[in-house]
Amino acid sequence: MRLTKPERLLLFGPVGVILAIWLIIPALLGLAATFTNYAPAEPEVRWVGLRNFQLILADRTFAVAVRNIAIFTVVAVPLELAIGFGLASLLRRPFRGRSIVRLVLLLPWLISPVASGVMWHFLLDSETGFLNFAVRWLGLASLPSPLSQHMLALPTVIGVESWRMAPLVAFLLLPGLGAIPRDLWEHARLDGLSWSGRTRHVALPSMRPLVLAVTMLLVGGALATFDSVLTMTGGGPGTETVTPALYSYDKAFAFSEWPIGAASGWLIGGAVLVAGLVYLRLAARSDP
Amino acid sequence: MTRSWSAQRRRAGLIRAVLLAIAVGVVLVPLAWTALAALGIGPDNHTSPPSLVVAPTLDHLAGVTAIEPAFWQELATSVGVSIAAALIATAAAFPAGYGIARSAFSARRRIGPGLLVLASLPVMAYVLPLSDVLRRLGLLDTIAGITFAEAAATAPLAVYVFAAHLAGTSVDREEAARLEGAGLLTVLRNVVLPAAAPIVAATAIVLFVLDWNYLLTPLVLTGIDVRTLPVVLTDLFTLEREVDWPTAAAALTISLVPLIVLIGLLHRVVERFSLAGADPSTEPTT
Repeated sequence: MRLTKPERLLLFGPVGVILAIWLIIPALLGLAATFTNYAPAEPEVRWVGLRNFQLILADRTFAVAVRNIAIFTVVAVPLELAIGFGLASLLRRPFRGRSIVRLVLLLPWLISPVASGVMWHFLLDSETGFLNFAVRWLGLASLPSPLSQHMLALPTVIGVESWRMAPLVAFLLLPGLGAIPRDLWEHARLDGLSWSGRTRHVALPSMRPLVLAVTMLLVGGALATFDSVLTMTGGGPGTETVTPALYSYDKAFAFSEWPIGAASGWLIGGAVLVAGLVYLRLAARSDP
Repeated sequence: MTRSWSAQRRRAGLIRAVLLAIAVGVVLVPLAWTALAALGIGPDNHTSPPSLVVAPTLDHLAGVTAIEPAFWQELATSVGVSIAAALIATAAAFPAGYGIARSAFSARRRIGPGLLVLASLPVMAYVLPLSDVLRRLGLLDTIAGITFAEAAATAPLAVYVFAAHLAGTSVDREEAARLEGAGLLTVLRNVVLPAAAPIVAATAIVLFVLDWNYLLTPLVLTGIDVRTLPVVLTDLFTLEREVDWPTAAAALTISLVPLIVLIGLLHRVVERFSLAGADPSTEPTT
């Protein structure tokens, strides 16, 4: 069946208009503005070339934010994928109560990153949380919140985000796992492949496009981490959990340095686009 | 031989049950701790061993309106904006997904993953200039401005899901209807949409949850006349850090309960959500 040109316009028009006004045009205008001193209150707009980017790259806080988010992404994304895949494998075959378990595992994703940040801020707090409660109950010395501890804050943030995202990964991977034909599993089992062997040789190859897609979404989400950190630590202690998105928001609103905020926001977008190019290459190769 | 097989099976079943029980516990304990705190049940870590203070009360839940007088109105705003944004994005994405699914294979291969990259683009990359555009259009801090912004942010994901699903469905009935003279929109409404209803409903619910939880978009694009719950929560905890835990827990509980009820009622529908596209082997049963 061939679609005619007016038909295409009809099909793609609505979403095209919404995306153009509310996403693509602002993004491109924003990109153009990063080479100027443009700000909403700025009376005289001047071309400044790469000065905004130079200022950002020379800023110690931004360098720390980039380091933090690199660690965050490299640790959290594989962790979420591994836990999510494990959970999905456990849920692959039907059993009594599976539906309830699936529902329960969806709960962390329902909690907004903001709410999750607030919640874990208090859950890990020594006065109000269960962590210190459990530690004291075991008769050990009182434990301050790991979110306020040097070297512990970032790993804790990674743990909390994995708590929120890994069950979602399971939810997204489960349909792909369920679509693998029964015969393939049986053959692999008869061939004597272990669980990890079946995972590597049966599950992952047939789920490659799906795993790549989920990974892309996770990487985009990780690089943009903002909400949860804002309420969990506010970027602290010091700058140990500052992320580029937090930096960008602070620059634009707390310090009224709009051009710096907009330009660093575009750097995050650029990083995701680079990851996107890698994803596009891998995805093109995985189709039969 | 058979016995060792069944013994192995039982052991595998047991391991699975234990692992899933741990996972369910890890998910539920933090939520239960929060819900209990909202009801006045919390720890006293100063005694040794620590004790639980059990003073059941609904005061904390009622107290949310004391620190945030407009809380119920903000809840209503969140519900309205999220429903509208999810419906707009779904309605606009469905025809586009269909268009991609019925395009040439080579185009489909390129557009699909591209949409996912667009879906992964962080809001921070464009939200500042977007706020400037909306200010000039007179849409800053309005329901319409934030609703369409959220619809645009989620639309690429919806198009991707619909395109992946519809590419795997049969075109026979569509072509038969076209041969009988039905127009494209008629075919879309009467043939394609009914067959795809489960994935459309599942996607709309997933978008609703995404919209409900957006922070950065409403934080930058609204804030005075229009306020959604994530913005309210953020204000409470970044501007007034002195908010106490039972009140915070109450606010969290109230903001989460509508969503849990929704998903609890509709989880059979949500389970149909899939990024992987239609599975041809199960097609006739849907």
